[in-house]
Amino acid sequence: MSQKLLEVTNLSMHYDTLDGNVDAVKNVSFTVNSGESFGLVGESGCGKTSVAMTLLQLQPDNSVITEGSIKLEGKELIGLSENDLRKVRWDSISIVFQGAMNAWNPVIKIGEQIREAMREHYPQNSKQENINKINELFKMVGLDESISERFPHELSGGMKQRAVIALALSCDPKIIIADEPTTALDVVIQDQILNEIKKVQNLLGLSLIYISHDIAVIAEMTDKIAVMYAGSIVEIGPTQSVFESPKHSYTRALLDSTPSIRGEKKKLRSLDGEPPSLINEIQGCSFSPRCPSPSSGCKNQSVEMGLIQIGEEHFVDKCCSECV
Amino acid sequence: MENQNIERDIKATLKKNWRLFRQSRLGITGLVIVIFFGFLAILQPILFLTNVWDEATYHPVVGYDAEQVTRTVVECPDEYPTREYETKEDCPRVDEVNIRYLKAFNIQVEVGDLYESNVQPAPPSSRHLLGTDSLGRDIFSQIMEGSQVAFLLGLISAIIGVGISTLLGTAAAFYGGKLDTYLMRQSDLVLMLPSLPFLFIISAFAELKVWHLAIVLGTLGGLGGSVITIKSQALQVKVKPFVDSARITGGSKRRIMFSHILPNVAPLALLYMVFSVTGAIASESVLSFLGLLNIDMSWGIMIYLAQTEGFIFTGLKYWWLILPAGLAVTLLAGGFYLVGRGLDDVFNPRLRRR
Amino acid sequence: MLIYTVKRFFEMVIVFFLFLVISYLLFNAIPGNAFSSLLLNPLLPPEAYQKTIEAFGLDKPLYERVQLYIINFFKGDFGYSYTYYPRTPIDLIAERLPRTLMLFSIVNVIAFYTGFLVGKILAWRRGSKSETWITIGSVFSYTVFYPWFALMMLWFFGYKMDWFPLGKFLVPEKWYDSPYTSDEIFYTLILFVTVSSFLLFLVFIFTRNIESLQNRRNVRFLGLLSLFALAAMYWSNGEAALKRFYAADIAFHMILPTFTVTLVAFAGTALLTRTTMMEVLKDDYILTARAKGLSQKRIRDRHAARTALLPVVTSFIFTIITIIDGSVLTESIFSWPGMGQLILEAVVQEDIPLAMASFSFIGILALIAHFIADISYAFLDPRIRIKAEN
Repeated sequence: MSQKLLEVTNLSMHYDTLDGNVDAVKNVSFTVNSGESFGLVGESGCGKTSVAMTLLQLQPDNSVITEGSIKLEGKELIGLSENDLRKVRWDSISIVFQGAMNAWNPVIKIGEQIREAMREHYPQNSKQENINKINELFKMVGLDESISERFPHELSGGMKQRAVIALALSCDPKIIIADEPTTALDVVIQDQILNEIKKVQNLLGLSLIYISHDIAVIAEMTDKIAVMYAGSIVEIGPTQSVFESPKHSYTRALLDSTPSIRGEKKKLRSLDGEPPSLINEIQGCSFSPRCPSPSSGCKNQSVEMGLIQIGEEHFVDKCCSECV
Repeated sequence: MENQNIERDIKATLKKNWRLFRQSRLGITGLVIVIFFGFLAILQPILFLTNVWDEATYHPVVGYDAEQVTRTVVECPDEYPTREYETKEDCPRVDEVNIRYLKAFNIQVEVGDLYESNVQPAPPSSRHLLGTDSLGRDIFSQIMEGSQVAFLLGLISAIIGVGISTLLGTAAAFYGGKLDTYLMRQSDLVLMLPSLPFLFIISAFAELKVWHLAIVLGTLGGLGGSVITIKSQALQVKVKPFVDSARITGGSKRRIMFSHILPNVAPLALLYMVFSVTGAIASESVLSFLGLLNIDMSWGIMIYLAQTEGFIFTGLKYWWLILPAGLAVTLLAGGFYLVGRGLDDVFNPRLRRR
Repeated sequence: MLIYTVKRFFEMVIVFFLFLVISYLLFNAIPGNAFSSLLLNPLLPPEAYQKTIEAFGLDKPLYERVQLYIINFFKGDFGYSYTYYPRTPIDLIAERLPRTLMLFSIVNVIAFYTGFLVGKILAWRRGSKSETWITIGSVFSYTVFYPWFALMMLWFFGYKMDWFPLGKFLVPEKWYDSPYTSDEIFYTLILFVTVSSFLLFLVFIFTRNIESLQNRRNVRFLGLLSLFALAAMYWSNGEAALKRFYAADIAFHMILPTFTVTLVAFAGTALLTRTTMMEVLKDDYILTARAKGLSQKRIRDRHAARTALLPVVTSFIFTIITIIDGSVLTESIFSWPGMGQLILEAVVQEDIPLAMASFSFIGILALIAHFIADISYAFLDPRIRIKAEN
């Protein structure tokens, strides 16, 4: 059943800023199968959101994609015209933005904002059909029908976020990208929203790309996980395999800094130092300055970065392949 | 030690801001224009002091210079168009004189003769770069005098206006309550005051000098809309954590206002100042243009004279009476506006392209 | 919404009273008691003098005089005009105000609409060549020295090209044997413009709920066409057909002044729209709109421009005063016999009652325009509407 839906290969992209080029995404490759949920985890500023934006070709004007390809069902997205992209957006890939509080236009009613997208992709639908569908979606995410007639500022944060999920589902996409959808919410609501996302994903058989800095949430939500550091993927594999035997020292550091309820008691460790600035080109392993147990190879910075396979579908960066 | 650090910080900020400002091409254009007129304003007294220009000839108000021009005597036809002249206005040309005009003064000449006379207004020459007006006064010198007036008035009124609005706006944000309500109603009122008729009335019944006008304009500007904008900026600063921490560490209200809130409102105030110079220059020119101001010379007065003496509808024949003054007002006002735009790009990161 | 309107209305009334008091005090503060110049005016009959003294209560203390002035204002009693004796200021204003109002409202609507349109395009085409040129043009017309510019326009279009009349309200020769007075014709013109813009507004309101964008556009276009047809029918039938010739004369005289003020007035709105649009375009919901696959035009018009409209409307409230100022200058340059020319004349002639009355009326005009802009602002922004209701 698992057929390739989205295939990203060797994607590299930088931002052209006043201070120089910021290499936000370096040589990133991954695939998402249909019905699968894929997690992207890393610290703030490691390029997760840049990857998400590139998938929809919504990157800011000053970004430059230097190489790589993004194939959706075998169709290349990079280089498509704006008009062709419009057909892909929301129809095939929809997104739940980071800080979805601001995702609503403050002066347009919620229902109208959802209908607007449906009008674009289902021009043949009547207004009543659209309204019926919205009501159905609202029921699915646990919202009242009356929300349609409200303005965004009349809703609570959690309600807005549920409505955003309904919005994301409105045009029956094949993939939903959820970019830190719960960051601005309190813990109880966070949990509800996560359950809601998981529920609709299973119900509709969608693929999900879940982006977060919280490795615990990722563990709960995804089948496959990629760990990003300084613009590159340093470890990628099935969630279970990565969690049970993390190979990269950054993955381990991330896991060590997260409390676990189920597992044995352990001391939490924090990672010293800060992520490197992406403006300067980094020689060798970008993580080596912060690595608790750097190997001789990455210390003298002679090893080029790149993934090698270590288990079934489990890849890790070369420099850390030997540290266990 | 600490002072040195602060100094270095300020220098770094200025350097960064300058770099940002330099990116705005329009801003730089504006700066060049403003500096150019500033140079003109300073140049005139220097020329007089060094005796390059003598005051009797070049003084913008009381100077007089008659230019000797040799012109050909022609006879203007009765009907137009003819082969040489298209309309009535084309005859005589600038280098010609109508024989009928001379005959009226009993001067005996023939068509085709050369006739020497004093001309006012005289067209531009090497002696008078922009010609002279109908009283034989040097236009270029008048333009310089006008830019002195414009700078004086623009800057004084802008400083007064921004001073008032910054103080009031910050106070309204900081103390709130009744003061705030009062100030906001007051700026509503000032905003609704039809300013030009208001200035008409003031200037018609009280003899206004440049100084007075600067104060009136500054006060009007300072009490008006800028108070509201500065207040909302100050409100945003007021809720920032560093203000809270200053309060917790026991800073007095006044100290917090002056050392924390005011500096953060300052960029916006500077922006307002630059923009209000534009308005002040325009207001002065309009009032001079209508002949309502009690000043000797300004760009507005130059246009006022050109209009009342009927040179406007001569089209481009007497262009030096009409174009330089009008362009000077437009350019300097525009220059200040563009500088403001450039500063806006610096202070408002949301406007930057990247 | 209603509560908000009422609240704003009361605030306006208070500001209006303050305005009256201040304008009285202003005239009162004129050095050497401006009223004393009355005594020196030999043209003025004694009863007019007596009337003015009474009307303004010149022999009473300041407090009572202010009171009297406000009462007189509502009675419409300002004494006599010195220069136009025996006409009263209110009589003159009644004649002049509609003319100014007409010029002013047309300019306001056109300036706002074109300014917004141009600003929108500027922000959208950021960085392109056309943006640079339009920006330079807008900055020029924003900062150009207006009287000079107006004179140049008058010289070029009126004199050199001879396309438009050189100012004034009408051509007297044409009106020599007219069965109508110019005011009658002008009122017909005002009525016509008001009714047709109201109908246009209705068309837009009623088509708002049509779901399909294509249909909506078509219906609106049809509505516009039928409006034109209606207008053509109106002017070619009955009494209006007789008035047509004269109405056209007045309308013809309005073109150049309207065009000139609009050219200057639109720039401020355009430049501000550009700035706000550019800020709005960085907001998250624009990204959402793009991600939804909406067309560029729809994102620009429905999402960015709609939100950017709000601050633009707010500052347009400030611009109204500038446009009134512009109208005043325009009237004196194009010899358009309206309020602006009246007040300038009154000031130059030291005709105090007339100056006072016309100043107060221009103040009301500004106040009402302010009020309308304020209400439409609340209508546009649901956040304010709802806050005001609670």
